[in-house]
Amino acid sequence: MTVSTFILKNAVRNPRRSLLTVWSVAVSTALLVCLMTLQRELTVPPEAEGASLRVIARNRVSLTQPLPAKQLAEIERIPGIVAVTPFTYFGGQYNDEEFTSFAQFAVEPKRFRSLLVEGRISDGVYEDWEKDRTGCLVGRDTMKRYGLKIGDRMRFRGTFYPCDLDLRISAVFEGTVDDRGVFFHHRLLDELTGDLGTVGTWYLRVESADRVNAVIAAIDAKFANTSAEVRAESERAFQMGFVGMLGNVAALIRTVNGVIVFTLALVSVSTMSMAIRERFRELAVLKALGFKRRDLFGFILAEGFGLSALGGALGVLGAWGFWNTIDIQKLSNGILLVFEVTPRIMATAAAVASILGVVASIGPAIAVGRMSVVGGLKTLD
Amino acid sequence: MKGAPDILAWLWLIAGTAIAGLSVWGLARWVGLPIQYNVRNVIVRWRSSVATILGIGAVVAVFVVLRAMARGIEASSASTGDPANILVVRKGSQAESGSLVTRDHFRIIGGFDEIARNASGQPVISAEIVVIVSVPRAGGMGDANTLLRGITPRGMELRPQVSLVDGRWFQPGKREIVVARSLSRRFPDFRIGGVVKAGSARLQVVGHFEAGGSAFDSEAWMDADEARSIFDREQYSSLLLRPRNEAAARVLIGRVESDKRLSLRAEGEVAYYSKQTMTAVPIKYIAGILGAAMSIGAVFAAMNTMYASVASRTREIGTLRVLGYSRTSVVVCFLIEGAFLAAIGGVVGCALARTTDGFATGTLDFQSFAETVFQFRVTPDIMGLGLVFAVVIGILGSLLPALRAARTPVISALKSA
Repeated sequence: MTVSTFILKNAVRNPRRSLLTVWSVAVSTALLVCLMTLQRELTVPPEAEGASLRVIARNRVSLTQPLPAKQLAEIERIPGIVAVTPFTYFGGQYNDEEFTSFAQFAVEPKRFRSLLVEGRISDGVYEDWEKDRTGCLVGRDTMKRYGLKIGDRMRFRGTFYPCDLDLRISAVFEGTVDDRGVFFHHRLLDELTGDLGTVGTWYLRVESADRVNAVIAAIDAKFANTSAEVRAESERAFQMGFVGMLGNVAALIRTVNGVIVFTLALVSVSTMSMAIRERFRELAVLKALGFKRRDLFGFILAEGFGLSALGGALGVLGAWGFWNTIDIQKLSNGILLVFEVTPRIMATAAAVASILGVVASIGPAIAVGRMSVVGGLKTLD
Repeated sequence: MKGAPDILAWLWLIAGTAIAGLSVWGLARWVGLPIQYNVRNVIVRWRSSVATILGIGAVVAVFVVLRAMARGIEASSASTGDPANILVVRKGSQAESGSLVTRDHFRIIGGFDEIARNASGQPVISAEIVVIVSVPRAGGMGDANTLLRGITPRGMELRPQVSLVDGRWFQPGKREIVVARSLSRRFPDFRIGGVVKAGSARLQVVGHFEAGGSAFDSEAWMDADEARSIFDREQYSSLLLRPRNEAAARVLIGRVESDKRLSLRAEGEVAYYSKQTMTAVPIKYIAGILGAAMSIGAVFAAMNTMYASVASRTREIGTLRVLGYSRTSVVVCFLIEGAFLAAIGGVVGCALARTTDGFATGTLDFQSFAETVFQFRVTPDIMGLGLVFAVVIGILGSLLPALRAARTPVISALKSA
């Protein structure tokens, strides 16, 4: 019998206990993976290729405060801007749904086209949308989720704006990081509200990445000390602003993660001490036979590591498999978008589980190291 | 008024625990084994008992704290408003910040004679505007939206919950704001003497108020007319009014609803706020999922402990059987032990969770789109739920080991080492 088979035989001598240990470590690790992924989803929004070229300008007061439409002419004069469109969040309720998880924006279709850098039209014709005042451009995910096709109507009840929308689907886009949005003519919104003078935000594309900061500074400076001061920021910074608004949610998830790691440690500690107590006498025999203290140490640590590493691996793979087969958008009612279990998260969770297994075995291992052969042989049970 | 339901809930918790304890005691009597037998077993095997207790405690603590967080959000909505007030907002709006009331509508409703008059004969109605203002967080942690309310003297009379605790009230016509104290703790600019930049306007903080844990504790107030001029708002966000009496209130709600000129909705202020709890929904959802998932791990761990406990007591079990205890008695005995172990875990978890009671924090409210400040509320009913949860984990974890103990053949059990 080699040392490794000896360790293996020991690990499975009580198969039920080993199984329960492995399973409970697996479940906790899987949970850890899920929470880390959730945390990442909330705090690190998906990064779009074109995002580095896109800038959003909002009212300095806050996102909900509108901007005067007349700013357009002045923004267009700033050098380095390829295209700029009004970009107004409508915030409607779709078909009287309690909660609508995809956003609707009023834009100028002609100007918006060059902002759709990584998006492509997968169905319908973009120009049809440009021509149809009540038409809309819809993301593929939303089309799929509601089983819509070109020519169907989408009705929205305004929660911010005192008007409702009745739109006809003209074209479908896909390939952006978030293929859920619905875009419609800003002119339609202006007509419905009777307010031709305001927009929500400005959305613009800069010629090259190295000019982005200059453009942002130029926009901010242009409207400083006017009645509508503007705050321009890169699309990425804008997204991260939302994360900041969530406040302490991220800290809360971190705390829960800590608790899960703690319970993982408890499971490992209690199993390992049970496993060792059960064969205290045997270990004393090994000692009497001449096995060194560090050999016993090695046996015990290897067993603890093996059980929790197996559990960790099962948990990580289980979580990865689960989130890869399931449609997260469907499950979360469209709130969560990607929920990507990254290799980094998987590695971290597996490492945490395995290390805890080793750490948990240190206590029992020391106890075994300290015991005298005679004392060990005398132990009952 | 607020203390009464609390005491009642505590009584319920104590009574429930007592009844559960008594029925277990009765069960033990019926089995015929003294309950001390189980208690001592738990103590003798203290190492694995402690691990199981802490494991279950952690699960219960997470569950209870998340529920307490959701409860805190609900509580701040539920304790907002005066039952005699009526709030008027735009039909279809989900929050005051997304509501619009035109000046014409204000004039029409202001003329309704169902509205009460104050001592000087003016109708008690307040046309207010709500603006979301972005304010930097402490420690350079980005910006957060906060809710700024332009309010009138009538509006302040209509909210007796709110009282000034520091500094002074704003002066009409000046760019001064008074901030809820709990909100001010989260933003350095909101200290008294601080200046909040709202676009090109500079607003000076001159006082702090308290609003008894209501939704107003997440607001900043300033003069309504001044706010309308700064933020270039021709229209109002909402109307708050006091009808003459309950009958007048019903008539007024009916008039607003049926008036074709107005696309407005009138509703009791209390009822309106009690529905502003959408933010709490996903938290409750997460509490449920996390609780369930973590409990799977805890059940496995408890099973491990109980199996080991059964295995090391094989001879003891054989002895009990020889003495005439039935298989059922043995099963019940081990179930009681598992439930007892888990209940201790539950108590530990609740005690841990209870330390977060009153902890103030804030997050983005999905409806108002502004920071909402709330306190964790670890209430007796949530702790009761946590305890039940713990006991269920304990029973699930000990069921299979208990059955195994009962199935052990008597002779071989006695023979085992």
